[in-house]
Amino acid sequence: MAVPTKGNVTNANPTPGANSKTQAHTQNTGNNRLLVVQLTMANTVNYSGVTYGGQAMTQLHSTNRSGLSQRMGFFYLVDPPTGNNNCVISFTGSQWNPISIHIRSFTDCGGIGNYERSGASTTPNTKTLTVSQDDSLIMITSCSTYAIQTQQIPQGTNRTFVTHNTNKQVATGAISADAGHSAGTVSLRATSSQVSISLDRVEIKGLSGGGSSRRRIIIC
Amino acid sequence: MKYYIISKIELEGTDSLKYTDVGYTEDIDIVNEINEQYDSTLGKFLGENRTKLELGEISINTFFNDIDSVNEARTEVENVEELNIVHITNLNQL
Repeated sequence: MAVPTKGNVTNANPTPGANSKTQAHTQNTGNNRLLVVQLTMANTVNYSGVTYGGQAMTQLHSTNRSGLSQRMGFFYLVDPPTGNNNCVISFTGSQWNPISIHIRSFTDCGGIGNYERSGASTTPNTKTLTVSQDDSLIMITSCSTYAIQTQQIPQGTNRTFVTHNTNKQVATGAISADAGHSAGTVSLRATSSQVSISLDRVEIKGLSGGGSSRRRIIIC
Repeated sequence: MKYYIISKIELEGTDSLKYTDVGYTEDIDIVNEINEQYDSTLGKFLGENRTKLELGEISINTFFNDIDSVNEARTEVENVEELNIVHITNLNQL
C-alpha cells in the first residue's frame, strides 16, 4: 500500500445568490487522481449536481441535518482533468445563504473507501470509522450552532481545519497526517464550545499493491 | 503559502449574483478591508433580506440600483500559478 498524495486545496465561503456556484480549482498532475468536494449550506435548497471540468461528480451523500437547518454533501471524481478547471455546484433553487466549499485534490489515490455520518450530538462527539486498508487517510467535517474547537484524527490529535459561517458554524478541511492509518477502527472526535456538533468522516484510500509505506516488524 | 482570491460580485440578469475572480493577494490587511466593505454593503443587504429573497418578495437587483459591483475575498487557495489573475498588492489596483 501507499498513502495518497495530498494536492491542492480550495476553501470558499461565498453566498451564491443563484441556482449554481462556480468555483475554480487546480487539480494536480499525476497518476490515480481523485478530487473531492465537501459542502455545507442552509437546507433551504438541495444540491442538484456537481461538475468539474464539465464532468459530473459522483455524490457520496447529501444529508439533511434538520436540527441544524443545514444540508451537508460530499462529491468526488476519479481521474479528474488536470490543471485549472471550474467546479460547478448546482442547487434546486437559488441559494441566498452562505455555502461552505472545500475542494481537495489527491494523486496516487485508490479512491473513496468507507464513510459514516453522525448528526449533532453532545460535545465532545466521538465516533469511529473503519478503515478498509492500510495507508488510508480520513477526512472529517462538522457543523454546530456554536464555535467549533477541534477536529481530532485520530481522537487526541488535533488537525487543522477551516472555519466557515453558513449561518451555522462549519469546520471543513481536516484530514489525517501524511502517514495515514492502519486498517481497522479509528476513533475520531469533534468538539464545540457548547451543546452539540455533527461529525461526518470519509476514508480516502491509498494505492493497493504499491508496497507498504509502513515498517512491519516480523518476529521469527 | 495561503493566497486569497478576490472576486467581483455583480448582478446577472435580474435576480442572480455573478462572481468573477479578478485578483489574488496574500496581504491579510487587503483581505480584511475588502471583506469589511462587503459585509457593510451586500453582506448586510443579504442578511437583512434573506427570507424575502428566498420567497421572491424582493429581487437582488434592488441592491444593484445604486452600485455596480462589490468585491469579496473569502476564497483561500495554496496555488495561484494557473489562475491567470492579477497579484493585488494595493486596493487601488481593483
